[in-house]
Amino acid sequence: MKKRTRTILTSTIIAIVAFLVLIIELYPIGITIVNGFRRDIIILSGQPFKLSQLTTRSYELVLKNPGFQLGMKNSIIIGLLSTGISVLIGAMASYGIARFRFGWRNSLAYSFLVFRMLPQISLVIALYLMFTNLGIRDTVGGITLAHTSFNVPYVIWLLLPFFTAVDKAYEEAAMVDGASRMGVFFRIFLPIVAPGLVVAAVFAFLNSWNEFLYALILTGVKAKTAPIAINGLIGGETLTWGQVCAAGTLMLVPVFIFTLGMQKFLIRGITAGGVKG
Amino acid sequence: MSSKKLVTDGRPARNKEGKAREHAPFLFLLPALLVVFAVLIFPIIFSLIVSTFDWPLSEGAGARRFVGLGNYIGLTKDPEFWNSLKLQLGFIFVAIPLELLLGFAAALLLNREFFGARLVRSLLLLPVFFLPILSGMTWRFMLQPRYGPLNALLLKLGAPEITWLGNPVTAYIAIIIQDIWRMWPFMFMLLYAGLTAIPQEMIEAAEIDGAGFWKKLRSVIIPLLTPTILTAILLRIIDALRVFSEVYVMTEGGPGTSTMLFSLYTHRQAFGYQKVGMASSMAIFLLILSIVFALTLVRKNMSLDVLEEKAGG
Repeated sequence: MKKRTRTILTSTIIAIVAFLVLIIELYPIGITIVNGFRRDIIILSGQPFKLSQLTTRSYELVLKNPGFQLGMKNSIIIGLLSTGISVLIGAMASYGIARFRFGWRNSLAYSFLVFRMLPQISLVIALYLMFTNLGIRDTVGGITLAHTSFNVPYVIWLLLPFFTAVDKAYEEAAMVDGASRMGVFFRIFLPIVAPGLVVAAVFAFLNSWNEFLYALILTGVKAKTAPIAINGLIGGETLTWGQVCAAGTLMLVPVFIFTLGMQKFLIRGITAGGVKG
Repeated sequence: MSSKKLVTDGRPARNKEGKAREHAPFLFLLPALLVVFAVLIFPIIFSLIVSTFDWPLSEGAGARRFVGLGNYIGLTKDPEFWNSLKLQLGFIFVAIPLELLLGFAAALLLNREFFGARLVRSLLLLPVFFLPILSGMTWRFMLQPRYGPLNALLLKLGAPEITWLGNPVTAYIAIIIQDIWRMWPFMFMLLYAGLTAIPQEMIEAAEIDGAGFWKKLRSVIIPLLTPTILTAILLRIIDALRVFSEVYVMTEGGPGTSTMLFSLYTHRQAFGYQKVGMASSMAIFLLILSIVFALTLVRKNMSLDVLEEKAGG
């Protein structure tokens, strides 16, 4: 009985500490979301917990802001395009690595993993010069291509555990029936691994959605993405925190929906290939 | 991997379809290889070439001059380069150990069931997925003089107000705090996963032997978690080496050059000072550093073999 009381007491204390830590940790995110609904004058009054006169005015302003509108539109288009391309190309490559044995297989697979970890600043200067020469700087196509550079290697490694877990029997049966490898891949294999493809698509989209440096250097006016538009809102000594936070909150919506909806795959998602198993 | 000849499903490819099959892995890999060549390998080779030139950004090809290793030698004489390298290493050596410590403590604390434990564990991860530029923006707001929440708190506690981002030392501390805030839950996530994978019997066995909390930690938990800890540190180092957007949004490297981390200085060399050749030599330097850490991680984990063992193939 005594031991039981002690256990309950420890649990309660731990629960209290845990929730306190959680509240402090999430405060910066909370204040961002709340500021989107507060009037700038209240934000600037320095009362971080005051919640009076809430308004959606910042949202109205930011949604009417042509720069932010364009950024959102571009972010969605670029995100979807680069996700589609990366998942298709990445799934094919991942299948090639998972199902075939060839001499340079290991080195190739590990090179993809290393490519995923290269710093963007090391590539962006060359990409800037290349894109300028090709005339694709500040185009949706150009920045999409740049985003595939991190998403393709990422998808390959994210999918490998899903792919190696599939029994070869399905494909073998279809091959015996005379189907080609490509046919088997698209018609038999991809439907089986659909859940993995969804996970890969979600995280690839988020990679693109959150990306800043490539967009900063490789886009300007026409193809700028939402993070660039938000950076523009912060500007020098601006005091329109309400709009910045409203815009930020809008960007957060897909991130948090996907993150909380994909609990099971989070570790795989952010470490793709970097962690055993 | 001994045979160079293509073998499918562990059996030699049949003769009848042999030819078509031999091209199969290549066909599957071709699109990815094309992309990798176009946006990764070619830019790297191009950077290497550019790094041997005096290459002004916005002037014509006529202004470019081959300088060999001149840019690299120039870097060693550039105090701003050493400054950015120093700041970058300091950032890594301060932020990551603290993240590890906090993450480990939280993993130990939350590795038990209590009311709302699952909720706490999931919500704790939100900062990891918070957009880096929003993290920079939020912290810039939090640290504002007069109305920033942190200063409001300090004032309430009777402490003097700090112009965090206006002072070189506090600005540097601030970008580190920002990183710790965002990434310690990442450490927590990996270490918690590692902790739950430790067989309960091993911990119970230690308890039966009369081991207290610290003894259990030292003789069972830490030894078994070491691989996970090393992986987590490597992943964080690789990530921290390329920190850019959060700091760019928060301080743009200032005041002065006090938060000018490596990639921020590379960015300034290229697009501020317009010295693309110089910037490319910095890019190559960082690239090599990153590849070294990435290869260490890859060698250590060798995930491909583990995957196959798991799949029974």
